[in-house]
Amino acid sequence: MELAIKTERLTKIYGQRLIAINDMNLEVPCGSVFGLLGPNGAGKTTTVRLLLGLQRPTAGRAMVFDKPCGPNAVGVRSQIGYLPTNPKLPGNLRPIEYLDLLGKLCRLPGEVRKPRISALIRAVGLLGATDQRIRTFSTGMCTRLGIAASLVADPPLLLWDEPTAGLDPSARRFTLDLIRELGKTKTVVVATHILSDIDQICDHLGVMHEGRMIFTGSMQDMKQRLCQHDFSLELEGAPDDVQALAQKVTALKGIDAHTDADHALLVRIADDYSRPAALAEVLKLIDASNLALKAIHSGQNATENAYLQLLQEDEAHGFQR
Amino acid sequence: MGSNVKTPKLGTRMMPYLAILRHDMRTLQASRLVRLWLGATALLTLLLTGSNWANFQDGTLIASLLFPYLVFPWFLVVVVLGVTPVSGAQTETLADGILSRPVSRLEYLLATWSARVVLVLGVYLVVTVPAIVLIMLAKRPVPADTVTIYGIATSLGVVGLVLTFLVSLGFLAGTVLQKPLLAVVVLIFIWYPIGLILSIFSLEEFSPISLNRAISTQLRQSWRQSDEAKGKTKPEDAYAFTDQMSNFFNVLSGTQSEPKAAKPDFFEGQKFDDFSLLRVTLGYGLPTLASVFLAALSFYWRDL
Repeated sequence: MELAIKTERLTKIYGQRLIAINDMNLEVPCGSVFGLLGPNGAGKTTTVRLLLGLQRPTAGRAMVFDKPCGPNAVGVRSQIGYLPTNPKLPGNLRPIEYLDLLGKLCRLPGEVRKPRISALIRAVGLLGATDQRIRTFSTGMCTRLGIAASLVADPPLLLWDEPTAGLDPSARRFTLDLIRELGKTKTVVVATHILSDIDQICDHLGVMHEGRMIFTGSMQDMKQRLCQHDFSLELEGAPDDVQALAQKVTALKGIDAHTDADHALLVRIADDYSRPAALAEVLKLIDASNLALKAIHSGQNATENAYLQLLQEDEAHGFQR
Repeated sequence: MGSNVKTPKLGTRMMPYLAILRHDMRTLQASRLVRLWLGATALLTLLLTGSNWANFQDGTLIASLLFPYLVFPWFLVVVVLGVTPVSGAQTETLADGILSRPVSRLEYLLATWSARVVLVLGVYLVVTVPAIVLIMLAKRPVPADTVTIYGIATSLGVVGLVLTFLVSLGFLAGTVLQKPLLAVVVLIFIWYPIGLILSIFSLEEFSPISLNRAISTQLRQSWRQSDEAKGKTKPEDAYAFTDQMSNFFNVLSGTQSEPKAAKPDFFEGQKFDDFSLLRVTLGYGLPTLASVFLAALSFYWRDL
């Protein structure tokens, strides 16, 4: 498998005090849309900055297309289109001037630069704002311009850090659609803590927690990891009755059930049993009990559950790690 | 990806440097600090010229115009301009915008340094040169002076070199200390008592006040005098420079200096005849290069 990004035992410690990245091994396949997922402070942005050579690793190494990353790794950065979170742009410039500056930084000759800038301005929907200074731009417009900036050199790898942060629903939709489209021809890494974004656009993901990579694999692998409760039944009644019901349900063949902290009944059906038939059995038992059924939830939010489960497992195994 | 269109190799290689230089110059020109400085320095030059019009001879008047650049207050502006591109919140913006692109840190540092040097020298020359031309050409009610073109050019060059050194020192402080305010305060505390610091190392010759006083003499130097001196290596020049360097390192290392054969009589007689352009050029040029080199080194090792 050809890799766009590979890190080996990558570690970053700030000032001998804060461990931002902890012995991280990451492999991003070429051509994938890779979601770098993790809560705030997990080390996603630090990882991106290490890949760009803006920061130096304390230990380990990072490679992009088999080239080592570092402050003077100009060749590596020429292969990367970077979109920072809420990009800080030079307010005194106009969008075309800014993109022209970046085009020159990427050593693009005028005959390539100029038409590409016009195409990008049009593509990100800033055609009507070309005579405005960037300081007058809204957050959404800045992100759109940042997206155009990351595409100026037409790089094969895009590193987008929180691309949907602070965007309104239409801008968010635009960004996600664009990532999906770009993912057809490029490797895209999206660092975010927004699960629904990852769910919609990514085919591979890595989950980071407290500087560690606690999971890497395909989206399918992630969902399979889930200790899936096929159904969650919201019930009204005494907690003891819910507990008693859970015992009765567990006694049924191929069904496992237990209650959670909110006294909901979590039902898991074995793979070789019919889900509708099992659910019908459970509903019959509820009907016969003193409990009232308020709602039935199926395991739709698989990614979110798997993600939360991973974090919980990582917390629980704190000492082992 | 990329392009197959061929452009001149050097032009392509220099493209990021020139782009940052142009962008930085443009940003600086639009900044309030530079505009205010330009206005203030023009006003001060006008005031100094007007108030001493009928009192000072050409040399003294020109030297008085250069005083604010060498001693006070403009060193402060120059230092602030040097500090800003590599410290504080600016680093975040440049990391997002410029250093995440295919640009090396050295390219960025050299481009912003050049932009600031060009701008500082530009403001300084735009204001002083017309005033000097006016002083030289106008008929004033003062005795004629022997100021030469060569003297003016070299004096302007010396002050320009000091300003370049200050920008470089600002760069070094900005990269090492990372906090702009702290860097400026540290530089103020170094530059104000610089005469005293230099005297510890027996380098009074290079103090801004000494230079300003010596400029009156230098302004009256002729090209011929200098030309005559060319070709013959002045042994006292070389000796004095070696002596200054060894004394500097002796003070730094704490070893006792050897007894000197002859003490340079730089301050004696207030004539400043032994002002050496070569020594001053080396005395400011080498630290300038060292500052840029150390700033580049510090910037290279730094996290953004």
